[in-house]
Amino acid sequence: MKYVEYINDLVKKKVFEPEHILLFGQNIAAGSCISGFTRGLKVKPGSRIINTPNCESTLCGVGFGSMMNGVPAIFFMKQQDFLLLGIDQLVNTYNIIRRKAPKSSFTIMPVIVDSGYEGPQSALNNFADFCSIARIPGYTITNKIDAQEIINKHLIAPGFRIIGISQRLFKTELIDIPYVSMTEDRSIFQYTKGTDVTIACFNLSLPNGLELQRRMATKDIQASLFSVNAAMPVAWDEIIKDVQITKRVIIVDDLKSFNAPWQGCLNALYAKGDMKQHLIVQRSFEGYWCRPHADQLQMDYDKIIADFNFQKALVA
Amino acid sequence: MTKSPEILQKLVRVRMAQLIINEMYKQGAFKVPIHLALGHEAIAVALGTVVESNDQLILNHRNIHYNLAKVHSIKSEIDEYLLKKEGLAGGELGSMNFINEPQGIMYSSSILGNNLAVAAGFGAAKSIKKDGGVVFVVTGDGAMEEGTFWESMVFEKSNELPVIVIVENNQWSLGTKIEERRCPIDLPKMVSSLDIPYLLLSSNDTYEYIEKITALKKQVLDQKTPACIEVPLTTLGWWRQNTPEFPEGKFINYHAGPSPSVKEQEDPYLDHSSEDPLFVMEKYFDAKMIRSMASDALSAFKKELV
Repeated sequence: MKYVEYINDLVKKKVFEPEHILLFGQNIAAGSCISGFTRGLKVKPGSRIINTPNCESTLCGVGFGSMMNGVPAIFFMKQQDFLLLGIDQLVNTYNIIRRKAPKSSFTIMPVIVDSGYEGPQSALNNFADFCSIARIPGYTITNKIDAQEIINKHLIAPGFRIIGISQRLFKTELIDIPYVSMTEDRSIFQYTKGTDVTIACFNLSLPNGLELQRRMATKDIQASLFSVNAAMPVAWDEIIKDVQITKRVIIVDDLKSFNAPWQGCLNALYAKGDMKQHLIVQRSFEGYWCRPHADQLQMDYDKIIADFNFQKALVA
Repeated sequence: MTKSPEILQKLVRVRMAQLIINEMYKQGAFKVPIHLALGHEAIAVALGTVVESNDQLILNHRNIHYNLAKVHSIKSEIDEYLLKKEGLAGGELGSMNFINEPQGIMYSSSILGNNLAVAAGFGAAKSIKKDGGVVFVVTGDGAMEEGTFWESMVFEKSNELPVIVIVENNQWSLGTKIEERRCPIDLPKMVSSLDIPYLLLSSNDTYEYIEKITALKKQVLDQKTPACIEVPLTTLGWWRQNTPEFPEGKFINYHAGPSPSVKEQEDPYLDHSSEDPLFVMEKYFDAKMIRSMASDALSAFKKELV
């Protein structure tokens, strides 16, 4: 099963649960239905699915208004870049809403265009910035288990959040791997447990981390693999506990934001004092990095493993 | 036709309450910015009279008159401006984001145009819940320049939402008049292009406004359409400031803050013309009666605030 098909299945089941719901967005019930993301959505009688005009700022306000008036709302969005037009609502309206525990919900589900060939103005792989600007809860989806857990727990739960999905993974086979644990709020998932190194993947970089973990395993290096799916996790406890054992951490991040969530993680690890060695794998921003090109985070796995000399005694 | 003095009384109370708040403002009582609405009372009292329990009000930063038109006590509103925990929102919202849900004031925004989109969402939820009533959203001649003014109406018309957009047109946005910042916008033509009903309310006669808004609300519900009301008005309390560049005095239309030219007084009139909705009431009521009501309202408010 493809990534987008699985997400579509989960969303279809969830949105049919409530008595009242408002689903809206451009092309969600016409054309390709956002390349299959929203195909076949059904709601209970009286609820509405609205194929909207092109007015993202207003549509963000519509979602908040519906939520404040007691009807859960979901705004499906073809491209996260378009959400820039809704920043006023994301910040100013949410700052009113956060005052009280809400009874209803508003979720924005944008496609993060992380594929790269769409051009300079359609490659905003900056999910953390959207969440940071108003401390908005936000989650990314990378595989079967996080899709299931995040959609079922958060999609129509009271409150506001953004759930981002990956354009690059859209038509790829769904990653289906066992997990070790997950946090209560589904912000951090652990997939393997090892004693040699901790790999913490951020944003949508789990496929990269997974490949690194597999290659390490062939060299008898046992890695713990985490995916940090939330743009603003507040508790790093699971990763800190793991690094107390491994003493080493490799951070993998495919985000383009300057202020990245892993910085908070690294600060927390430094503060605990157990980390002896770390490596940050992120994008290069040399040259005109906005040109159309394969935007996937490039990693030289063998070099990373070689440079991270696991035979060498750790330096305090 | 006999006019109910209760409506007049509401109009007088909204005016006198603002005179008290203006005086406190001049004395430095408030840290939060308050946008007084002297001269805007007719539409506020009309709306306060027309709205029913299943209607909802979505306001903008200049919202003081809409709450005053709905409540009998002014203390809890003033306490909110003073950021006291006894305030209507526990001192958490202040003035520009004022909310009073029991009175149907569900949301107010200090960002131009922001509330128009939120009102469209309230309307969408209303159409799903089928709980009747209308969403009234108040905006101004400045916010109607924002893209969301058009976008919201397109969304509302496309989805048959019961939303009435009220444009308080005082000609000013911050310190600039319309002709200083843009070309004219033909609002009737603009909304008619969307087949949205348009209503012009320009007499400053609250009684006329009540009748016409009541009829428009019925049309909105019967025909499943949004509607737009334009209310040209004058924000009273302006003054002239002498500067070297303007020796004759520069016209100042204060945006926020107190009006130094307005005093707390028993006489409710700020202008003896049709620009003052209180003065307009002389066509139905004796001036002595209006002044007597004003005097009583001032005493009652002062007693409440002691």
